[in-house]
Amino acid sequence: MDERWDVAGIDGEPLDQAALEGRAVLVVNVASRCGLTPQYEGLERLQARYGPAGFTVLGVPCNQFGGQEPGTPEEIQAFCSATYGTTFPLTEKLDVNGRRQHPLYAWLTKAPDGEGRAGEVEWNFEKFLVAPSGEIVNRFRPAVEPEDESVLEAIETVLAPLSPAR
Amino acid sequence: MTIKATEVRVGDRLRTRTGAELTVTRIDERFMGRPGMLAFVEDSQAQWLKMPASRDGEVERVDGAPPAR
Repeated sequence: MDERWDVAGIDGEPLDQAALEGRAVLVVNVASRCGLTPQYEGLERLQARYGPAGFTVLGVPCNQFGGQEPGTPEEIQAFCSATYGTTFPLTEKLDVNGRRQHPLYAWLTKAPDGEGRAGEVEWNFEKFLVAPSGEIVNRFRPAVEPEDESVLEAIETVLAPLSPAR
Repeated sequence: MTIKATEVRVGDRLRTRTGAELTVTRIDERFMGRPGMLAFVEDSQAQWLKMPASRDGEVERVDGAPPAR
């Protein structure tokens, strides 16, 4: 992991980069008051299904889309765990677009989606899949559900090299 | 006051449903690929904030853009 990943967790402490090192990471900007917020359920199921194989969802709270993540860190964390039982890590609230864009997103948003479009994050729950090697391998726009076949296939592809030899 | 989404101009100050406010610096067509949706964006030193709206809907305008000269 490099300095792009220098970000605090939702508790204000530095994110445990060792917990992400060598794993496939699905980085998702999240919000608590969005029509897409129920995607938390699918994200948590991905975490449960693929976590043991070397996969982690990383939720990034962001208030830049409709102001739909206005809460304090404590409120965000309580909402996620109480409403959706999330177990995957959350970062501090970040800007994912604009002049105060976090370096993590300055890097992620250079990656194109399936239609070849790079640039700004479109809305809440946009997903970037980063391979264990550190390469951005897929970008899924917000309307793509976490358990869409395309997402599952992409995760399984990046996890395949981590599987024990048969 | 509320105005039609299609009447919003760059410079208008809008309020989102959550109470956040933005001064429109850009209007995007086809929010999330939907022809019936627009998105109003403030991309400024102050903040980057996006607010979508249905083309045939209304939005809350807090303050209007200065008149064109």
